[in-house]
Amino acid sequence: MSTGVHIAGVGSTKFGFHPDRSLQSLAVEAARAALADSNLPANRIGWLFVGNFVGGIMAGQEFLGPIVAADLGLENVVAMKVEAACASSSAGVRIGYDLIGAQAADAVLVVGVERMTGATREALTSAMTAAIDQASEGHAGLTFPGFWGMIMARHMHLYGTTREQVAAVAVKNRTFGTRNPIAQFQKPISVAEVIASPPIADPIRRLDCCPATDGAAAVVLSSEALTRQYGSPSVRVAASVMMNGPVRIGDYREITVHDGTVNAARQAYARAGVGPHDIDVAELHDCFSIAEIVDSEDLGFFKKGEGGPNVTAAVRNGRLVVNPSGGLLSKGHPTGATGCGQIYEIAMQLRGRHPNQVPDARLGLTHNGGGTAAAVTVHILEATQ
Amino acid sequence: MTNEALSGTVQSHTVIRVPGKQHAGAGPFVLLLIELDDGRRMLGRFDRMEPPAISSRVVGSVNENETPLFSIAEVK
Repeated sequence: MSTGVHIAGVGSTKFGFHPDRSLQSLAVEAARAALADSNLPANRIGWLFVGNFVGGIMAGQEFLGPIVAADLGLENVVAMKVEAACASSSAGVRIGYDLIGAQAADAVLVVGVERMTGATREALTSAMTAAIDQASEGHAGLTFPGFWGMIMARHMHLYGTTREQVAAVAVKNRTFGTRNPIAQFQKPISVAEVIASPPIADPIRRLDCCPATDGAAAVVLSSEALTRQYGSPSVRVAASVMMNGPVRIGDYREITVHDGTVNAARQAYARAGVGPHDIDVAELHDCFSIAEIVDSEDLGFFKKGEGGPNVTAAVRNGRLVVNPSGGLLSKGHPTGATGCGQIYEIAMQLRGRHPNQVPDARLGLTHNGGGTAAAVTVHILEATQ
Repeated sequence: MTNEALSGTVQSHTVIRVPGKQHAGAGPFVLLLIELDDGRRMLGRFDRMEPPAISSRVVGSVNENETPLFSIAEVK
């Protein structure tokens, strides 16, 4: 077995509508599932991070670290919330990776959780917009659909990306979602339906947008020694990287190139000793359909400007499959939970247990972006068996 | 910036149709990303409902604490 930090266990609720559930109960369900999956007793957990973005704004609930620790029956642990907008829980994984790598911890539990459904569109837009600098671009009226709408308009202008190519991303991911039992949307859609759906922030239309989602996902990180001791069905963390990027759209040198992703990917590939064309399966941050195209280019899967005609082919060189979970567009985007949810999906792929299994997947990548792609995590995971 | 005259080129655009609470009732409106002639980049509103083409020349002005308002530059 390879050495280093391992994903010892993963767990997830179904993503979708949980109107009668609290943040705490969703988090506990996912955490207990991950602990059971890992075979580790709860008393081996030394640190708990709870990734959450809008719990304070939407539910008036903060202080989730100690609350979830108490509900899990964890005692004498370091427990705290981690917030990096849509990358909150993968930021927790990033911290946990370093703690174990530095031998400051043997086992770290990271839980991501969010409750978003039931709010009005305006209330939800306002909550999400808290990750935009309110002193400048929020004041001007920028929203996240607006941010990605500007990127889509410029990508189409510079590279000739077509409306149909962008819509095909949503169609592909909805198709994957039909076979993922924990995905929010499980019905296919067509390119014509995407293009005919109501405009939200031109040229982005409703079916180009990920939904508001309730859900939780959890990851148990552990040392190799602990993984061996308890026979955890682990995958190795080959790289865990987090990088910042421009926080204002006006700070971008070119808005179709996201430096946070480019730099995080470059460092992750170097640490793992692999390149983009070694990746078998990837879960990318497709918060809007154009985002999967931009991300796939910035991660090096395609040259800049070539994502449109290529990413929807799903399989590149007969190998790389992008967002077989259905991605954020179909599986859903409970913001604070998305990072752990992506790791859940890739771990299942590398253990050969995914409902959309990529044959012989050995190396997987997750890409999770917070805010204006200003807090980006890239994780590369490797099968161990 | 107080009563500053601005001129630049449209880098991109969108139409905000679902604004946040801070701008409730203001939508829809066209938001532009402008590269000013001095190299700065900023967001601004457009004075029409149909976005201008990318690379269009625009002029505008801004008062302190206000979002700049741009219009198409007249060709001389």
